[in-house]
Amino acid sequence: MTKIGDSPVSFEIDDEQGYLVIRFAGEIDLYGSPHAREVILNCLKQKRNTVVDLSGVKYIDSSGVASLVEGYQLAKNDNLEFGLVNVSEAAMNVLQLANLDKVFPIHASLSERLQAS
Amino acid sequence: MDKLHGHELLEQERDAQLDRHLALLARMTQEFTTSLDIEETLNNAIEQMMVYMNAEAASIFLLENDDTELVCRACAGPIKLIGLHLPADQGIVGSTVKQNHVQMVRDVSSDPDFTTQVDEKTGFTTRSILCAPLTVKDKKLGAIEVINKKTADGLFASDDQHILTALASSAALAIHNAAMASALLEQERIQHELELAREIQGNLLPDSRGPDFPVHGYNLPMREVSGDFFDHFSLPDGRIVFNLADVSGKGMNAALLMAKTSSLFHCLGKTQTAPGKLLAMVNNEVHENSTRGMFVTMVGGIYDPVSDEITLANAGHQPPLLQHSNGRFEEIQGAAPPLGIVPDIEFTETTLKLGDGTLYIYTDGVTEAQQNGQMLGEEGLMTMISAHRDKPVAARLNAMFASLQREGRQLHDDVTVLVIEKPAPAPALCLEMPAKARELKSLRESSRDTVLAAGSSSAQAESIVLAISEAASNIIKHAYGHEDGRIEVDISVEWPQLVIVLRDYADIVDVDKIRPRALEDVRPGGLGVHFMQQLMDSLSYTVREDGRGNRLEMRITIQ
Repeated sequence: MTKIGDSPVSFEIDDEQGYLVIRFAGEIDLYGSPHAREVILNCLKQKRNTVVDLSGVKYIDSSGVASLVEGYQLAKNDNLEFGLVNVSEAAMNVLQLANLDKVFPIHASLSERLQAS
Repeated sequence: MDKLHGHELLEQERDAQLDRHLALLARMTQEFTTSLDIEETLNNAIEQMMVYMNAEAASIFLLENDDTELVCRACAGPIKLIGLHLPADQGIVGSTVKQNHVQMVRDVSSDPDFTTQVDEKTGFTTRSILCAPLTVKDKKLGAIEVINKKTADGLFASDDQHILTALASSAALAIHNAAMASALLEQERIQHELELAREIQGNLLPDSRGPDFPVHGYNLPMREVSGDFFDHFSLPDGRIVFNLADVSGKGMNAALLMAKTSSLFHCLGKTQTAPGKLLAMVNNEVHENSTRGMFVTMVGGIYDPVSDEITLANAGHQPPLLQHSNGRFEEIQGAAPPLGIVPDIEFTETTLKLGDGTLYIYTDGVTEAQQNGQMLGEEGLMTMISAHRDKPVAARLNAMFASLQREGRQLHDDVTVLVIEKPAPAPALCLEMPAKARELKSLRESSRDTVLAAGSSSAQAESIVLAISEAASNIIKHAYGHEDGRIEVDISVEWPQLVIVLRDYADIVDVDKIRPRALEDVRPGGLGVHFMQQLMDSLSYTVREDGRGNRLEMRITIQ
């Protein structure tokens, strides 16, 4: 896991089955979300299909959700795939509160996402 | 050849008759099994039987009034006999029922059992009677009777006996089923009334006054209507009158006595504040009007939060337990009979200091809870109380009730507990933090602890923490624009609500500009206010009390 300064969120990126998989852990709040945003946008700028694994996310707020929305929109513009996998209960509650659980493609895992498509 | 042909014809006719017979039986059985209106069904059936048996009249008599009478419940023919009462041992019907055997009187004029009473009343001439008993297993229900065959001689033949016997057994079963069904309906009606009584009783118990009130009552009824009750109410001078009682017996009688006794206590307790005298007054009233053999055990008392004294009187109830702050238990003894048995007696009062101790008043349903054939007992109760001693009172009682109901433990009686202890200082948070995003994590941690201590479930606590964090984020981002500043956060309990106030020293924000974004609009930002509105019961933005910044108040009912 890579940590950025004293950011409450850490991450790692793996190249799996043609996707970049970003695994976030910790709390994506107003302090952590700019870091999360940067990580997501960097992956998409490489013109790579990207999925975000949220299993280690204990807390996410509206600014964290906004970073995911930005990634989703950038990917759409560039005709890239973007989705969420392994969403923790805490993160799912917040996505539902934002009514975004129906907007993002959400799967239990990357392989399930591949099977579904 | 002719003879053989004749025999075949006879067989064909018999077959046809058998078919008709079976068809009638099938039709009647069908009607009997599908209808619950037994009188209508029986009247239809008796009409069909009369026609089928080619009789002039037919009727069904049922045993009623503890089998002393036979009453006509269905009939067909020229004379209406419905409602006719006969002594159970009278007439051909009576002797059929008594002997439980089909009877045929080809010619009534020569039968000793025939009573002319009915004919005299009706003007009908009875010539021949066929009567079959209605029985289910060994239970006699009555008899079915057909009168006067419509043939030249007007007399029944032995074939008719078999047919009527078959019809009677199917009718008997239908009557039996209908009686069972109506008994079931009656049972349901009683059940419904008991549920209603339970609801009314539940309403007689006072609502919880929350953790800031020193008296807490809990009741778990084991039957629909409970014989246990408790009450607590404040007097204008701040003293609190309370009681806990157990009515002897169970069911509706106990419930009515409970309603009466609790009303008496509640009403008289507003003016008579000496518990001994109050119990004496209630005792006399209950004694005067109560059913013989019923009584009420009660502990009644008054708590003065200023002097910290509890005065109580005990009418035949098990002694309350006072747990002192050092953990030691003391039984508060009292020696007077239960209410409603002996009039004009005195109830001695005991006064004690509550201090940091806790007084437990309970019904025997608690100590008589069984586990593995062993009663919990007073010792068991004290162990249970001590095990949960560190919990706030609501959580402690929930834990105790849960362990009373745990698998393997059998509750036979209502379980009721009244607890008196000084309210713990309400959990509250009052902090000031730099308006920096890196401070949010510790704000969330402190808020979570406070909210959980106030009694929120962990799911609700997460929602509240999110709303607080979003509110602080908005101040950092929008009010201060990420510039230096300070945020004050207050969390307090106004039972049953949690009140959260955030204040800043930023420029006054135009409240009309604080709007959640439309959700259809998928874009980053603007979600925070939407979250807060979704998560909290209410949200209000105002200018700080001192006019130097903004104030946000959020409220939510603790769950």
